Amino acid sequence: MVQSSVLQDSLQRFVSSTPDIQGAALVSPDGLPISSILSSDMDEERTAAMSAAILSLGERIGQELARGLVERIFVEGEKGYSILVSCGTEAVLLVLAGKAAKQGLLFLETKRLVAEIKPLLH
Amino acid sequence: MEILKIGITGTVGAGKTTFVRSISEIDVVNTDRVASDETALMKATTTVAFDFGRLTLNSGQILHLYGTPGQFRFNFMWDILMPKVHGYVFLVDTSRPQDFRASRRLLNYMKQKTQSPLIVGLTHADSHKAWKSEDIALTLGLSNFVTKPPIIEVNATNSHSVAQCLILLVEQLIQQGINVV
Repeated sequence: MVQSSVLQDSLQRFVSSTPDIQGAALVSPDGLPISSILSSDMDEERTAAMSAAILSLGERIGQELARGLVERIFVEGEKGYSILVSCGTEAVLLVLAGKAAKQGLLFLETKRLVAEIKPLLH
Repeated sequence: MEILKIGITGTVGAGKTTFVRSISEIDVVNTDRVASDETALMKATTTVAFDFGRLTLNSGQILHLYGTPGQFRFNFMWDILMPKVHGYVFLVDTSRPQDFRASRRLLNYMKQKTQSPLIVGLTHADSHKAWKSEDIALTLGLSNFVTKPPIIEVNATNSHSVAQCLILLVEQLIQQGINVV
């Protein structure tokens, strides 16, 4: 049984303790919400579906165009970043960060969160 | 020569992915993921972005096939794919009357996204639970249409049947004045 309150706590801690991180969502690979900390103007269901879609396409590119295993999808926008990483076979993690975020720190903290969450999903 | 973009759409489990796989001459770019919602009761995996396949007709005309996801949460993919198609196949599983209402809603959604010609493909028509074509036309609200789209039975697992369906659609495109080789 997945402890959803524990997952929610992990995400909450991650978002509030890392500078310039604005949101995070954990979704199933087929695009359903598991747990999320998102601003109220973002629809959780849509976010989940979009996250699953883009990660699946990114992984497909990695595979077909011989880029190997995909570590992350990184979307760089004018106002900030979206990062998508696979969380094992059970979940996909989306991280939203502001433009001021330091990329190295962002990747590191994201990796750390994945390591923390993965065991909770089994 | 312009490549024709063909959308393959319909509700969950209508046979979209199977349809594209049956006819594509290239390895289908598929984005299947293990299903964890009510879809899992029908099938193991579900499309989360799109299926992409290609078909070259005898005339040399190339078709690009885009199979959409079926669940409403993926409507952003419908919004991306459908306005660009030259025509589309709308698949309906005739043996699942519980999905007809969703089919009707989906069809109306697609009609808002594109004015392109469509044909309705009826799958699982050999099932003993299958509804008749005219009844399905009624439930989809198609009988009121001035120009009712063609409705054809299609076996999504059979490449010959899928080809028949696409040829019928291409004929529709020609009738609408779209340049086809």
